[in-house]
Amino acid sequence: MIQAIQIIIGGLLQGAVFAVLALGFSLVFRVTGVINLAQGGFCVLGALLMYTLQVSYGLPVPVALLGAVFGTFLGGAVLGATTFVPALARLPVSSILVMTAGLLTLIQGVLLIGWSSTPYSLPPISGEAPAVLFGIRVPTQGFWIIGAAALIIAGLWFLLARTRLGLALRACAENRLAAQLMGIDVPRMTLLSFCLAAIIAGLGGIAVAPIISLQFDTGGFFTNFGFIAVAIGGLGTFAGAVLGGLVLGVSEQLAAGYVSSLFANGLALALLLAVLLWRPNGLFGAGPARRQDVRDEQRIQRAIVRLDGKGGLLFALIAAALMLALPLLLPSGAILNSLVITGILFIAVLGLDVLMGFAGQVSLGHAGFMAIGGYTAAVLATTYGWPPLAGIGAGIVLSLLCAVGLSLVTTRLRGHFLALATLAFGLLVDSLTVGLTDVTGGPSGLVGIPSFSVAGYVFNSPVRMYYLVAGLIIVLTVMLQGGLRSDFGRALKAVRTDQTAAAALGVNVARYKLAAVCIASVLASLSGSLYAFNFHFLSPDMVGTPRSFEMIAMLVAGGEGTLIGPLLGVALLTLIPTVFQPFALYKTFAEGLLLVLCFLWLPEGLFGAAAIWFKHALIKRKAVSG
Amino acid sequence: MLELNRLSAGYDSGNIVHDIDLRVGEGEIVALVGANGAGKSTLVKAISGIIPVRSGGLQFEEERIDRETTRARVLRGLVQVPEGRQIFAGLTVRENLRLGAHGRAKEITPPQLAEKIVQIGELFPILLQRLDQPAANLSGGQQQMLAIGRGLMADPRILILDEPSLGLSPILVAEIFQLIAGLRQKGLGILLSEQNARLSLAIANRGYVIENGKIVLGGTGAELLNNPEVAARYLGVGKAVGDTQPESNFASRLKRLLDRTE
Repeated sequence: MIQAIQIIIGGLLQGAVFAVLALGFSLVFRVTGVINLAQGGFCVLGALLMYTLQVSYGLPVPVALLGAVFGTFLGGAVLGATTFVPALARLPVSSILVMTAGLLTLIQGVLLIGWSSTPYSLPPISGEAPAVLFGIRVPTQGFWIIGAAALIIAGLWFLLARTRLGLALRACAENRLAAQLMGIDVPRMTLLSFCLAAIIAGLGGIAVAPIISLQFDTGGFFTNFGFIAVAIGGLGTFAGAVLGGLVLGVSEQLAAGYVSSLFANGLALALLLAVLLWRPNGLFGAGPARRQDVRDEQRIQRAIVRLDGKGGLLFALIAAALMLALPLLLPSGAILNSLVITGILFIAVLGLDVLMGFAGQVSLGHAGFMAIGGYTAAVLATTYGWPPLAGIGAGIVLSLLCAVGLSLVTTRLRGHFLALATLAFGLLVDSLTVGLTDVTGGPSGLVGIPSFSVAGYVFNSPVRMYYLVAGLIIVLTVMLQGGLRSDFGRALKAVRTDQTAAAALGVNVARYKLAAVCIASVLASLSGSLYAFNFHFLSPDMVGTPRSFEMIAMLVAGGEGTLIGPLLGVALLTLIPTVFQPFALYKTFAEGLLLVLCFLWLPEGLFGAAAIWFKHALIKRKAVSG
Repeated sequence: MLELNRLSAGYDSGNIVHDIDLRVGEGEIVALVGANGAGKSTLVKAISGIIPVRSGGLQFEEERIDRETTRARVLRGLVQVPEGRQIFAGLTVRENLRLGAHGRAKEITPPQLAEKIVQIGELFPILLQRLDQPAANLSGGQQQMLAIGRGLMADPRILILDEPSLGLSPILVAEIFQLIAGLRQKGLGILLSEQNARLSLAIANRGYVIENGKIVLGGTGAELLNNPEVAARYLGVGKAVGDTQPESNFASRLKRLLDRTE
């Protein structure tokens, strides 16, 4: 009995932190209609600032606390004013969502540069000795966590329900145009909500840092669970956010205490998928979902730019020839190896391009399919001695099964809910790859994977792998290029532009979405398998959720919906760290920065921008010669 | 009070309204009539600062305001009741009205605010009965009343009404227009942008006809109502029978077209 109570108290403590994070999500969502995935980053930023001020500089706790909160606020204000507010004025909601994922990466990059990758832990505010109440041991930090959470909840409630400023914030959430016409400074309110959410997250991080050790990328964990908490509870209500956090925390701890910690994550994600399926507004949400699509209509979907006609063909031939000749021009070694990795990742990104670029379906869990393909092929080849090709086939079949299952959940979802479901899928796969230690080798990874081979021919050198991957890419690109120029491709684009209109024209939206998810999952699975065969090793962080975000950055930087364009993005993010080894520390930062900048300033991507430039140049030359 | 001088405005793709000259004085209702897509809403948005003025002058009480934010214009007393009502559906009626006075909130004490809400309630008694209900629960006509009442909370000097008749039944439209006509007695200048030309010209002191983003005709309300061209295009009482200008008669053109294809 005492054990159960102790577990529940632990759950409530964890839940209080989730609840605080969920409140931040809910606040920004209610004011702007956007989920801000950067939230978890501010959590860690606050805690690490606190560590530096309190431990490194030895400042007294209250002073350090003020400094850390102010620092987090400053970070929020700078990022909010330079990225979030401008994005809100010109990007559709789903793009902003992904841009905030970029912000999270950016913050993690800053933290990595500033605090390196060591884990930090704050000293508990009132000492290490736990308090004992009726024979139950409670860490004293627990009281600080609960107290901080209660204070934040009460403060936020007071601000929104009882003050003029709060009313103005709520007005922005309800109707931005009307709020502007009432003389409310909408961008300022947006920034205010963003900064408030950052402060809330920072406080949460500071409160929890003594019982959880934090490092630069813990923000991803906080974002995921805050996001899940708010989705379970309901996006639109603060009570829902708080209750969702507590439910998530307690159920996690109960599952971890009585079953296993692997099962804990799985349970949370299963809970999320169930809620999304049956009660998309959350367990405690009221009324029908509002605004999800209405808001998207107000901003024009970004156009897809691509080369066509003779120019495209010429370009394709040159590119193919260059690709095949490249190993002859390069010294074998690190660069060739990176090119192989670039190619393998590009296969997965191609799939993501079909799904996001063509069909317009956000996926934050694409690496999940890479993991399925990678581990299936690797385990079958290593443990059971299957030929690699059969392993790849089995991985694809399993991925397809998962894709169909995921589609059953996601066809009815759009916007944030879709993003959430795919994120949950990715995290579920993450927790399985880490947790099924007997099969996958757990966190330390699976070793001794053989090279890829077909009928006795072994692809055991970088040059061989290179030609295998290059050939695959050419075949796949030509196939997709043909396939997407047909009715099928047009139907996908119709779904991307406007699902309702597409349905009204007789496009079976659900079927096309399913087809896009299937193509995406097959390509990701193939890529994952090749990845494993190439490295002879596979660990969960090679195909985890950060990889999903990275692939989105690659896609967006290269140019969505252009098929070959993302290759530029993949190459950029894969080759630069190889070529400039000393800068590896800045990789995360650069990735985040690239994603955010591309969303804001280069919405057509590198390839799209180049294509536009090329077209203009062509027109000019014609004008001169004609 | 409100003066537009050769004002042009539009979006990134180009100007929508061109060289608009227009004036609204104290205690005056000025109707802006035109078909769907003529540029009425764009013009109204430019006046409120939702979209920028590209060229030309915009003056309010002899001062240039075309570079000011929407908020600054609201503080001056230039208030818009937007098309499609745009009420804060999830907030209560009272909160909607309080937001109307948001710009002046610093000068107004809570008792004064309550007083103002009662004053608005005298114009729209139904709102007083439903002060603490969510605005989403109101009917269309009541929502329009709330939108107008919310605009009046800002103590406007000029009130811009964009399509107040949109989506309302004829009886409700008549009721709303009667109310608008009554507002002028308080010295309020009203710019009424409307597709319902007959009713708006009937209550207007002056009117402008806008076509393809340009003002093509101006005059007193009565003059415009009696103008045969206006009657033909906007009041639906033109020379329907024996029309000698085929392109102005859509029905006969369509009929000919159908005859030809058969």
